[in-house]
Amino acid sequence: MKISHREENGVMIIEPKGKIMGGPESTELHDLLHELIEQDKKSVVIDLGKVDWMNSTGLGLLISGLTTLRKSGGELKLANVTDKIQSLLTITKLVTIFKSFDTVDEAIKSF
Amino acid sequence: MKKPKILPDGIVIPSSTDYLADVDQYLEEKFSSAGIDASVITDLAISVSELVNNAINHGNRSDASKEVDIRFAMSPSELRIVVCDQGTGFNIDRVDDPIDDDNLLREVGRGIFIVRNFVDEINVSRSPSGGSCVEIVKKL
Repeated sequence: MKISHREENGVMIIEPKGKIMGGPESTELHDLLHELIEQDKKSVVIDLGKVDWMNSTGLGLLISGLTTLRKSGGELKLANVTDKIQSLLTITKLVTIFKSFDTVDEAIKSF
Repeated sequence: MKKPKILPDGIVIPSSTDYLADVDQYLEEKFSSAGIDASVITDLAISVSELVNNAINHGNRSDASKEVDIRFAMSPSELRIVVCDQGTGFNIDRVDDPIDDDNLLREVGRGIFIVRNFVDEINVSRSPSGGSCVEIVKKL
């Protein structure tokens, strides 16, 4: 997994690529999310369009980011959720927790 | 530093999440070359990653001197994968329901639930060497 991030209209866009399976690279996403919170960047979109798949570790990372952001008055939203990840969110009922958007632009405008 | 052992019917890795990508790459190559549907390969890749994570963290309790043994068997009708650790065993049924409203925001505890949704069968047994083995079966 590789991760890039950028800022657009005051919203941080995080773009992971590859597979989120729980290896050492997964801590990079966790650390980045918490780094942004420390920098007071509390509106975050995770663009999942280039994530091949994730497992429960990946879902745990998303939940960790979401709950930490919400506790500090921020919000984490998802964009470009692939069919496989959508099915994971559905079977785990996390679809009821996360706000998802078809595009990054729509997610940014929702803040 | 130990390295993964590549076998004709599987891969044995040191008990560390550093080697999750090796397992994924090994199985993807084997299943792709056998003509298995890409969506089935993804379901299995996610499931195996859950079982290997469990074997490393719960079975072997993150002891890198131990190993995780992953073997597969293919037939025209099904694919079987067995993941064995060298731990003292754990009860896969003894986990809280991850889709209970009270548990939805928990960061862990969804692995076996996801596996059950992606495969047709899941069986737990003791390995001859004393660890525990989890077998998953996917109908093709």
